[in-house]
Amino acid sequence: MERVRAEVKSTPCARPARVLAIALLLAGGAAAAPVRVVSQTVGTDEALLAVARPDEIAALSPLAHDPEFSAVAKESAGYPVLRVGGDAESVLRFRPTVVLCADYSRIELVSQLRTAGVRVLVFDRYATLADAYDMLRRIAAELGGGAPARASAVIADCQRRVAALQRRLAGVKPVRVLTPSTYGLVPGEGTTFEDLCEHAGAINLAASLGHLRGNAPPPGEQLLTWPVDKLVLGGSSMAASLAPFRALPPYAYMASVREGRAVLLPPWVLGCVSYRRVDGYYFLARALHPGRVP
Amino acid sequence: MSSGSKDRADGLLWGAGALLVLLMAASLCLGDLRLPPSQVWAGLLRRDSWFATVVWEIRLPRTVVAVLVGAALSASGLVMQAFFRNSLASPGLLGVSSGGAAGAVLAIAFGWASLSLWSLPLAAAAGAAAATLAVVAFARRGATTDRLILAGLALNALLGAVTGYFLCRHTDVFDRNAQMVFWLMGGLEDRTWTHVLIALPIVLAAAWLWPLGRPMDLLSLGQAEAQSLGVDVRRLRRQLLLLSTVLTAAATAVSGPVGFVGLIVPHILRLLAGPAHRRLLPLSLVGGAAFVLACDLASRLIGGLPLGIVTALIGGPYFLWLLRRER
Amino acid sequence: MAAAPRTLKALEIDAATVPGRIEGVSLGLEAGQVVGLVGPNGSGKSTLLQVAAGLLPGGAVRWDGRPLGEIPILDRGRLAAWVPQETRFEFGFSVRAVVEQGRFAHADDGTGVDAALAEFDLDALADRPVDRLSGGERQRVLLARALATRAPLLLWDEPLAPLDIRHALQVVELARRLARGGGTVVFSLHDLRLAETLDQVAVMEHGRLRALGRPESVLTADFLRAVFGVRASRGTGLEMELP
Repeated sequence: MERVRAEVKSTPCARPARVLAIALLLAGGAAAAPVRVVSQTVGTDEALLAVARPDEIAALSPLAHDPEFSAVAKESAGYPVLRVGGDAESVLRFRPTVVLCADYSRIELVSQLRTAGVRVLVFDRYATLADAYDMLRRIAAELGGGAPARASAVIADCQRRVAALQRRLAGVKPVRVLTPSTYGLVPGEGTTFEDLCEHAGAINLAASLGHLRGNAPPPGEQLLTWPVDKLVLGGSSMAASLAPFRALPPYAYMASVREGRAVLLPPWVLGCVSYRRVDGYYFLARALHPGRVP
Repeated sequence: MSSGSKDRADGLLWGAGALLVLLMAASLCLGDLRLPPSQVWAGLLRRDSWFATVVWEIRLPRTVVAVLVGAALSASGLVMQAFFRNSLASPGLLGVSSGGAAGAVLAIAFGWASLSLWSLPLAAAAGAAAATLAVVAFARRGATTDRLILAGLALNALLGAVTGYFLCRHTDVFDRNAQMVFWLMGGLEDRTWTHVLIALPIVLAAAWLWPLGRPMDLLSLGQAEAQSLGVDVRRLRRQLLLLSTVLTAAATAVSGPVGFVGLIVPHILRLLAGPAHRRLLPLSLVGGAAFVLACDLASRLIGGLPLGIVTALIGGPYFLWLLRRER
Repeated sequence: MAAAPRTLKALEIDAATVPGRIEGVSLGLEAGQVVGLVGPNGSGKSTLLQVAAGLLPGGAVRWDGRPLGEIPILDRGRLAAWVPQETRFEFGFSVRAVVEQGRFAHADDGTGVDAALAEFDLDALADRPVDRLSGGERQRVLLARALATRAPLLLWDEPLAPLDIRHALQVVELARRLARGGGTVVFSLHDLRLAETLDQVAVMEHGRLRALGRPESVLTADFLRAVFGVRASRGTGLEMELP
């Protein structure tokens, strides 16, 4: 890419020290080429917004503005978003120097971006909180400048909040939960939902009783025998979120569905892979243990 | 062939060639980066490294792959139609595209696809080849037309089941699933020079096919008749089957299954230029290339509609029109 | 005493057998003859013609003394011409283009094509697509294509069936002309009255060759009764020939 280099003319006159200082400043500023980052997934959107300066953000994922999926729907309002299903050109339009993708991005796309001289960071681990911290650190390292410091600050803040939550929930009786879905799969072990439950004083019955790993189809009839205390749903209205399950077997026959024993979380929480899941812990903990968490 | 229709066929070939060149130029000028023609030109001549990257690494490979895929599918369709003596035969009749689909879906499901740029196309090609071998094996003992068609039907069904299974089974990894669906619709996004390399057998197969036009004429009017007129029918049929497989497999490997090209293009060209395969072969190659390139351009202009859907949207109405004509 | 020179037969078949269709058929035909192949439906006439043409494996076949296996497929196109009983033209080649296909083995596109078209009254139809022809016209196209090959051995499967009376007589007249020029024409037919006028008659029944010889010695009343199940007598009825 074309870069503008500052040319420093040295003149054989007085005050060489001052000239040298200016030269060093200019050289220092010019040597660091401007970083422009395009983020392809919601998780990296959230992390990027935490550590990058606004001028470093070139574009965000197609879902960035959608409150159903993005924790940063409001904060990302001013930034452009990628087109769904675009090709390399639709990313290169934003003239990025760095692109953040997930391991499930098409290999052809990644290859074309690299051919065009763009640095591509691929994130393949995002299940646990530690993975989320790593994401922040990796992105911050790539950005350089003040970013690593911002990342450390965010991580430290998260750790403090998580510890605080642990203290508040000490000794609490875990609530048995399940998060149903209309597309035939529920999250079990090793998912972000599991992580959410662990940190919010809940037991994910899909993992503990159902021994489901990853996102898996629930065992239809057995589901009815699980002692679900509360359902965890995402959405803005309890009635609207519960409605589909009242009509969908096997959920329709579950006591918790019929009695409407459910907690409602902001919809993006259930799919959150970034450090913002800590907000999610608080949402869930507050909903399940109202007395304990303010 | 009377000289009048010979001239017309030649004129058609020149016309198709000119159209192809125009479409290739348009393809180089179109893209999300909105480069004006002057910048595209600068890139083509490598005067500017950024424009050169866009033109040479992103747009040109895509254009070349479109040309190769279009030529391959159309020629393959023509071969199938002569082979089966039926103008409604298509390249996928014997399960080649289904095999390619199954291979690709397997590669995505098991994660091989993300290992290297070669994995997915090679898996698709392997699937396609395996499918054809299976068809020929099923139809052993005199591989007559009927037996081949039945075997093809059986294999299409089985391979469809395999593909469907993996689509269902792996819905938990949503994005892998999305990748599978995306691939199954056919598409030319982000084709690289690696894909062009993988598609090179198309050129070899087309060159081999070129002189077979005359014997194909005879074969298309009857196997036994052709044999008695001096055509080595067994050898010719083996060659045609092999060439059609290579063409379809290579095309499917680099672009996913794209339907209707092998059906529509030879059909239209036959209506315009007559059934002589000596004329139809080069016409199919050029015409098919132009057709797929035009569909790819349309897909880009409509905002990323998958190529397979664009060809289907053209295919459906075409056959409805044919129906009305027949009446 | 020197041995008499062995005359090469135009077509020789040794014990041709195709399971379920013909069994142990042997025959030898000299050049310059028009031979009619008759027999009830399903007696194996088509099969025999296909074996003779090398399209079905089933026995030792020799053309002019040369075993078929030793003749390259391309050359066979020049040496024998086979016309099927019925054919479907899927594609709309012009009549002329189809007749030109007869020259495939000669690797030239046009010699004798015009003559072949004229022979079968196809000049007016020369540019018509073959998928738009009537049954009789299609048959004439096939015959013209066979004629264009200039092959000395002609094997026609029921060529007269779809033809009108005039064209049928013309075909038989053509066959006689070709035979006089040294060719050998073998064709199957159902009209026994016509078979009587040919040089030789071969009779098939249930897949076996019952008789081969001059019509007057083969087509006796008893024989006709035995093979065809009809009572034959000679009298005068409607007779037709070319003017």
